Amino acid sequence: MTVYIFRRLLYTVPIVVGVLLLTFFLFSVVGGDISPQIAGKNADAQTIAEIRHEYGFDKPLFLSWDSQFVNHFRKALTFQFGRALDREKISEKILRGVGPSLSLTIPMFLGTLVLSLTLALLVAFVRGSWLDMVVVILCVAGMSIPYLSFIIYGQYFFAYKLGWFPILYMPEESLLTSLTLPVLIGIIAGLGGNLRFYRTVVLDEMRSDYVRTAFAKGLSTTQVLFKHVLKNALIPIITSVVLSIPYLFLGSLLLERFFGIPGLGSLMIEAIASRDFFIINAMTFIFSLLIVVFTLLTDICYAWADPRIKLE
Amino acid sequence: MKKKTNSFIVVYAALPAAIAAAVFVGCRKSSTPAQTDRMLIRLPLFTKIQTLDSGNLTDVYSLGIASQIFESLYEYHYLKRPCELVPLLAEEMPQISDDHLTYTIRIKKGIFFQDDPCFPDGKGREVTAADFVYALKRIANVKYMSQRWPDWNGRIVGLDEFREFTKGFQRELDVDYSRPVEGLQALDDYTLQFKLTKPWPQLAWYLASAVTAPAAREAAEYYGRDIMYHPVGTGPFRLKIWQRSFYIELVRNETWHGGFYPAEGEPSDAENGYLADAGKPLPFADAILYRIIEEFQPAWLMFLRGDLDMMQIFKDNFSQAVNPDTLTAAPEMSERGIRLLVFDDPSVFWVGFNMQDAVLGPNKPLRKAICRAIDRQAANRLFFNGVHKIAYGYLPPGLEEYDPNIVHTDYARYDPAEARALIQEAQALFGGPIPPLTIAIPGTSNLDRQIGQFLQKYFADVGLQLRVDYMDWPTYLDGLNKGKLQIFFSGASPSIPDSLDMLMAFCSWNWGYGGNHFYYSNPQFDDLYRQVEGMFPGPERTRLCRRMERIMLDDYPAAFLSHRVSIAIIHDWYKNAKPHVFSYNTAKYRKIDLEQRSRYKKLLKELKKTQK
Repeated sequence: MTVYIFRRLLYTVPIVVGVLLLTFFLFSVVGGDISPQIAGKNADAQTIAEIRHEYGFDKPLFLSWDSQFVNHFRKALTFQFGRALDREKISEKILRGVGPSLSLTIPMFLGTLVLSLTLALLVAFVRGSWLDMVVVILCVAGMSIPYLSFIIYGQYFFAYKLGWFPILYMPEESLLTSLTLPVLIGIIAGLGGNLRFYRTVVLDEMRSDYVRTAFAKGLSTTQVLFKHVLKNALIPIITSVVLSIPYLFLGSLLLERFFGIPGLGSLMIEAIASRDFFIINAMTFIFSLLIVVFTLLTDICYAWADPRIKLE
Repeated sequence: MKKKTNSFIVVYAALPAAIAAAVFVGCRKSSTPAQTDRMLIRLPLFTKIQTLDSGNLTDVYSLGIASQIFESLYEYHYLKRPCELVPLLAEEMPQISDDHLTYTIRIKKGIFFQDDPCFPDGKGREVTAADFVYALKRIANVKYMSQRWPDWNGRIVGLDEFREFTKGFQRELDVDYSRPVEGLQALDDYTLQFKLTKPWPQLAWYLASAVTAPAAREAAEYYGRDIMYHPVGTGPFRLKIWQRSFYIELVRNETWHGGFYPAEGEPSDAENGYLADAGKPLPFADAILYRIIEEFQPAWLMFLRGDLDMMQIFKDNFSQAVNPDTLTAAPEMSERGIRLLVFDDPSVFWVGFNMQDAVLGPNKPLRKAICRAIDRQAANRLFFNGVHKIAYGYLPPGLEEYDPNIVHTDYARYDPAEARALIQEAQALFGGPIPPLTIAIPGTSNLDRQIGQFLQKYFADVGLQLRVDYMDWPTYLDGLNKGKLQIFFSGASPSIPDSLDMLMAFCSWNWGYGGNHFYYSNPQFDDLYRQVEGMFPGPERTRLCRRMERIMLDDYPAAFLSHRVSIAIIHDWYKNAKPHVFSYNTAKYRKIDLEQRSRYKKLLKELKKTQK
């Protein structure tokens, strides 16, 4: 296992280098020197030169220890991404946004997972019954309703009409108070798709011979569902779950915007709206890194869940 | 076997616990725990702000917040109308020489900068005349790139030479500020003197802006380019936290020199309750929380729930909040103790053209065609609830130089047939079909998108293709200042009660950062401006200002759309909310009746029961 992990870690090196090459090519070679755009078309040459120097566009692209290429790698690997167009340090912006984003997305993710998995096991067990039908219809309805509608109606009924939650993120209140409603909305909005997926996965297993055998042997429903069915269904579940984790760091664009949550989703929207390629570049790299790490974790989890999968 | 099954159940059951844990780990009380007895004013901001650096404040949003932190020599009397200046950091109004070229101003003793780490031991030091000199020299410093330099360009003896001198330095902070400027001197610690190159009747108005507030050099050196996030002023409030894009919290400045609520105002002020706090010490509020809410719905719901004290009326809440016939609060609002403040806000909205653009600049028929293509009445109905006044010209009603006869001109006429004919002419001039045009709209909300679609429709009606580029306010402002935008949807209000402040936006020396975002240039206009700027108010000055307006309108640098009539909606507990269209430092006068605010929740419950 250790050798496998070590070998997979080594594989990540060329992937990370590839990502850095790609982002360098996109943002520095194709994008080129954007100093004149930053300075504006009526700026004097001196101003443009100052901006060029500040953002390092006056350095050679390659073939120097101080080239843009080397600096691109250096900045990414030290997580010192420099300054955004609004002059604030990008790393500070990202660090500030991670907390609120994860506080929103982790409970949302776990809540959706637990609920959808529980319900999936339940409806798969009673497949074909009226309960199964109702749940499937509700899932399809939930998937058909735009995410924004969940937010708007959630804000209106639960926050405004019933007064159970604050309408917007309240900096003077605890995160728990501010985030409960967006978390619940996120769970409900995400339930339909997840439940249908897990139901399909569980149903595939429920039709297997070993399930009939298990019941024939007299095992209880709990034992069959949790020991046999759930364990055998774990591979697709792990793939879906572990590969979702990097997205948690990106926050939730719509929820953060409508609830005024100062997370990474809002930061990305802001960066796109203000064409801040420095932030977009940094976020792209971090996201790629997370994907690489969690893909590795997925592979390790496969081996844990299914002994037939060999790591060597 | 049994044990293994249980372990699955344990893992599975642990997930809900993990949810709770994740929330609770994330939960932390902020450094400002909610205190019910704290007088916190809660206001919405519908856009991000650009900077809190006093020398670079240009837009009303940034000014609105910075003016609570920075103080200038003078301020507008809060209650008196027409506008009147009163001393703030100055001891008295300026002593002006007979030739109107020398202004001597004594400043108050015992004014301190707020406590800040930039000072030794973190204790703010006393403000001296040198800090005012530094603030203005900083604006003149070419390396500082102040957008407010055009206000001072060519006005002060020796200041333009100082600006030239700064060009020789590498960085802003390298500049030797000890180089004297003849027309800008601290005669002693408490006396400031301006020497003007020519009479400048508007100088005192400019000295009432946060832009001219004393600047602590220690702060500029300590924070460097981050000073925009670290305002160090002398005002009643100081910045506690600025979470960009989300909220800004100001708290009371404990070392503020103090002030009192005015004891006199307009005759109706007593009746309207604006004199109830006469003579009381300021500020009333402990803190102000500005929530940046870019979506309309949450802001409106927050207001109705009593989580915001005031907001402006938008298209989407107009019918719910306003009785359109009387422009008063709708009954549903009145029973909640919510009322309206309706007031003329001298301003103008436009679809502006970049006159240096290769397509629009040399093609007057094209610009005129666009002016004819837009139905201003429809725009007013759709986006401003029909409340705005149609802009037949540029200068808004309320300014002395506003020309009432402008309504008889055809600059704002909607005539699609003529627009189509003009486009034929424009194409001949261009040498082929007009390529797609691009308009920049500041904002990404639904309303902004509707405005974009509206303009696309009217452009398409006359055969023009329009692309819409939605952007946030700082990006938009940056594009305007740098001449990057081809067509832009924008607006302006005069920063002082003088038309020249608005006309300055068309002077050729003010391109870009100076406020001439049209990159307009007309020597005849420039000459007249130079002639008028030294004149004191009177009929001749008014005549020349109107002449300048017509010269500019004849060149069609913009399609002017409407003049704003503002409607603010406020809860009854928000006291002393008299609107002032030129003054920004008004938060110190505002007050919350906390008891009334706490009663509102009960009222909401009662209303719910009644509705049931």
